[in-house]
Amino acid sequence: MFDLISGQLPWWVAGPGVGLCVVALYGLINARLGVSGAWLATIAPVEGWRPEPWRRTFLLALAGGCVVAALLGPPVRVHGYGRLSEVLPPIALIPVLLLVGVALGYGSRWAGGCTSGHGMSGCAAASPDSVVVTATFFTVAVAITLGLNALTGGLL
Amino acid sequence: MSRGVRWSALGVGIVFGFLLTASGLGDYDTIHDGLLLEDPYIFLMMGSAMAVAFAGLAVLRRTGRTRYAGRLSLPHHRIERRHVYGGAIFGLGFGVGATCPGMTVAMTATGGLLGLVVLGGLLGGLWLRGWVERRQQQPVSTEPETSAATRAAVSSR
Repeated sequence: MFDLISGQLPWWVAGPGVGLCVVALYGLINARLGVSGAWLATIAPVEGWRPEPWRRTFLLALAGGCVVAALLGPPVRVHGYGRLSEVLPPIALIPVLLLVGVALGYGSRWAGGCTSGHGMSGCAAASPDSVVVTATFFTVAVAITLGLNALTGGLL
Repeated sequence: MSRGVRWSALGVGIVFGFLLTASGLGDYDTIHDGLLLEDPYIFLMMGSAMAVAFAGLAVLRRTGRTRYAGRLSLPHHRIERRHVYGGAIFGLGFGVGATCPGMTVAMTATGGLLGLVVLGGLLGGLWLRGWVERRQQQPVSTEPETSAATRAAVSSR
């Protein structure tokens, strides 16, 4: 909105910055920074267990940080879902995106973390499970993306 | 929750969300072009994040203490089958949707309102995995994994 940040932060700012977030959370509260765990905490009442209290604070703060960046960045426009919404009609797009979400949720809970919990925080701590999860999901994601790209003749 | 813990989660969360969004990770094209191996941005970002965090943790290990939570205990878990299965299913969602649990928040905040559909699915998927685990008479997976005591407390609910 205010357009103070034009375009994308360079990777050598964003990457190390995110790395420092990981270190900070370990060093301050001995916690593994993970977003899927924060989402999981929101459904804990439904399942009848108590999550660590910091997780909900973290999720709200994360959303707040996203909004701040959106306000400081280029004008926010409501938009579709990249090339996926150009290729698929809305009637197909919605179920596909719902299934994407289900795969992300189901997979991250089964694996015990996502891109942040395993991919960054766990790998940085050199935890063997995290290295395996990260290698697996990146390999599968690249294979799926290249496969869909080939199948759709470059449309996706 | 002590004040220190609350402010820590708040501060780190805001900076983390800010960086995810300002680096364009909430943008379909950023992730998609990365996964197509056409743009190295996401790999450079992820790699530099890991490198900096790895170095930072080396320093942290020397002191062995945390500011608000006593002794430092970093995760170290052995590899199980679920890490491959869960990682593969997660990768499927990551590949098709070019997003992940954190990036979807950035996507929604920058006007990609279809991210809300993904978030709805995400909560459903988390719940579904818990349902399957309960049916298999397992303790449900939570994500602290910081101590065995937490897991035990959760499973004996």
